[in-house]
Amino acid sequence: MSVRVFRWRAIGPLLLFALIGAVLWVLFADRIARLSAEKVGTAIVGAKVEIEHLHIDLANGDVTVRGLTVANPHEALKNLFQADELTADLDVLPLLEKKVVIDRLAATGLRFGTPRATDGRVPGDPNASVSGRVMGEARDWAQRFQVPALQLATGKIDVATLDPRRLSAIPAAQALSGRADSSRKAWQTGLDSLRLGAAVDSATATLARLKTARVTDLAALNDARRAIDQLKQARNRVTTLERGVTGGLAALRAGALGLDSAKQRDYAFARGLMKLPSLDAPEIGLALFAPTAVAQFQRALYWTQVAKAHMPPGLQPRADEGPPRRRRSGSTVRFPRERALPGFLLRTAELSFLLDPTAAQPKKYAGRLTGLTSDPAVYGRPTLFEASAPAVTAGAMLDHVHATARDTAGATVQGVTLPPIQLPSLPMTLDPGRGTAQLGFALRGDTIRARWAIRSTQVHWARDSAAPRSTGADLLWRTLSGITDLQVDAGVTGTLSHPRLVVRSNLDDAIAARLRTILGEEAAAAERRLRAEVDRQVDPAIAPVKARVTTLQTDMTKRLADQRARLDKAQKDLEARLRELTRIRLP
Amino acid sequence: MLTIVKLVQSLVKALHSEGTPGQLAAGIALGAILGLTPLVSLHNAILFGLIVILNVSFPGAMLGWAVFIPVGFLLDPLFDHIGHVLLIHTPALTPLWTAMYNMPVVPLTNFNNTVTLGSLVFSAVFFLPLFFTARWAVTRYRATIGERVRQSKWYRALTASKLYNVYRLFRPES
Repeated sequence: MSVRVFRWRAIGPLLLFALIGAVLWVLFADRIARLSAEKVGTAIVGAKVEIEHLHIDLANGDVTVRGLTVANPHEALKNLFQADELTADLDVLPLLEKKVVIDRLAATGLRFGTPRATDGRVPGDPNASVSGRVMGEARDWAQRFQVPALQLATGKIDVATLDPRRLSAIPAAQALSGRADSSRKAWQTGLDSLRLGAAVDSATATLARLKTARVTDLAALNDARRAIDQLKQARNRVTTLERGVTGGLAALRAGALGLDSAKQRDYAFARGLMKLPSLDAPEIGLALFAPTAVAQFQRALYWTQVAKAHMPPGLQPRADEGPPRRRRSGSTVRFPRERALPGFLLRTAELSFLLDPTAAQPKKYAGRLTGLTSDPAVYGRPTLFEASAPAVTAGAMLDHVHATARDTAGATVQGVTLPPIQLPSLPMTLDPGRGTAQLGFALRGDTIRARWAIRSTQVHWARDSAAPRSTGADLLWRTLSGITDLQVDAGVTGTLSHPRLVVRSNLDDAIAARLRTILGEEAAAAERRLRAEVDRQVDPAIAPVKARVTTLQTDMTKRLADQRARLDKAQKDLEARLRELTRIRLP
Repeated sequence: MLTIVKLVQSLVKALHSEGTPGQLAAGIALGAILGLTPLVSLHNAILFGLIVILNVSFPGAMLGWAVFIPVGFLLDPLFDHIGHVLLIHTPALTPLWTAMYNMPVVPLTNFNNTVTLGSLVFSAVFFLPLFFTARWAVTRYRATIGERVRQSKWYRALTASKLYNVYRLFRPES
């Protein structure tokens, strides 16, 4: 009996099954695509991405998104931007390769920094999500900057507790003490191994024989010469040891001097601990505006690093985490190839956006984005963004085509309402009002160069009524509240691992002069107190060590001199006797 | 509980279907691929179509699927490892993967996922041993206790149900 290979009557149900699938796709494709877009967008941005409506028209290759809201990953109740409508002209054929290629995207009604009712941040797991990892790295980077504290609220200077474990002079003294001990033991061993006693005893015995010997007693004369050679050898050994001891003592003396340097460093460390305000203008600019400036740089770094993670340079296969599912996700490996289509490509985007959307008459601007892709090396061109208008200039270039990524971005916005700035440790808030903001950011490999600046001529000052009042704060308030201009310039240079921050403002000199008046005496008194505290903790540790080094030096010098004197005397006596014996007496 | 009952029901139906042991074994082996690999993949849609179109035991396929789903979960670490070795640690295969990745339709199979590729390769290797083992087991069953089970009351009750009529639509044709 032959068995047929095909079950033809099942074709009908199979087609029906396929038809049901197609109907379900038509019914739910938009919803599935919307949920997927929200999920992917949220994972990339690190904050909620919400879409009110999404429609896919595969026949015409159109995708329309309405009511797009992207929350700000850095601020709880603020959106990064909102868009009224996005219309994408989709290339359909690449979908068969599981690639998304958008020829043109038009975005209208873009608004930046709009408020939101709920916290849109998504706390990403640093080990599981790219955005969570990058956020953590950017936060760590921002914490590298040492921002000096400025304390004026109460007019008193806080002397923080000085932890002896963090003073460098104490462990240095302990280390030097150990070195002195080991040196002393080593030198003692060296002295013992010289065996000077045998040489001197032998010389003394030979000298005794020589006293009764005649000039013809050649054996005695030879013994005397041998004894002199032994004494010379012993002296050479003493010289060698002495050279080592001299070097060791010099090192110990240098160590003792190093304790003084360590103590000076401890003074500086303690000065930082007590939050002593510097009276130098650049330090004041740093204290006042560094947190705000660093926050701007941190955000710029976050976005460039997110871009780098999702737009990596190079053509090597790369593995990312697989799709989330009940089964193990595994890794999904991408195999980019030159002259092929990238996994994602947005060729051109025309952006129409509003600045200062809360103003009575918000202004409308236009921008253009080209070459946004997940595989820059495959696409072969950098991603470019530009927007320009009379009061706005913005541009960015993400060049990940080559092995070393180069990201640059810059923006200048004039006549925009600048956000209020809370000045750290000062009982007042600075409201710059309308002004100009500039941000420049360049990251090439690991080298960073960034600048942030604000200018305003309509500064308002608000005093914190809840803060305790003091004479110093009153004086400072009177000084600052009369200033209506603001110019702040902040810059970061160096590498990501060793960045240098400089902040200057026109307020620095005014505040520095007032600080000198208010805090000069108190700062000096506080510093004196702190130096005394450092002395109290450090001196008991370093004084005995210094004394031990001095004692050791004296002791070793004396002992070596004694040994050398013994040898010299024995040799001198022997030589004198030999000369006396071998002298030719003329009749 | 319901799952277990359905599994037993499926098992009994499969073992007593009109199909030959070979048809039943082929169904089980194909169903095993469905169970071992991640379900939502293009290759599984094709496989499902084959199970329907080819003259193999549909209940056998469902049985194979049901039995091998938990096996698939258990063996995921192994599949992940196999996938890593093939996709990442075998440079000789990289040109092949690159060509496939940039080919129409093929990327929709998710072949570039380590678990998907690892499980698919494992299933392919496992297919023939499973087929022959299943065919031998069905033959032995039918030759020993199969007829007694067929005469039992509960089996008659099962075959009299409406569900059985639906099943008959997909039973193997001789």
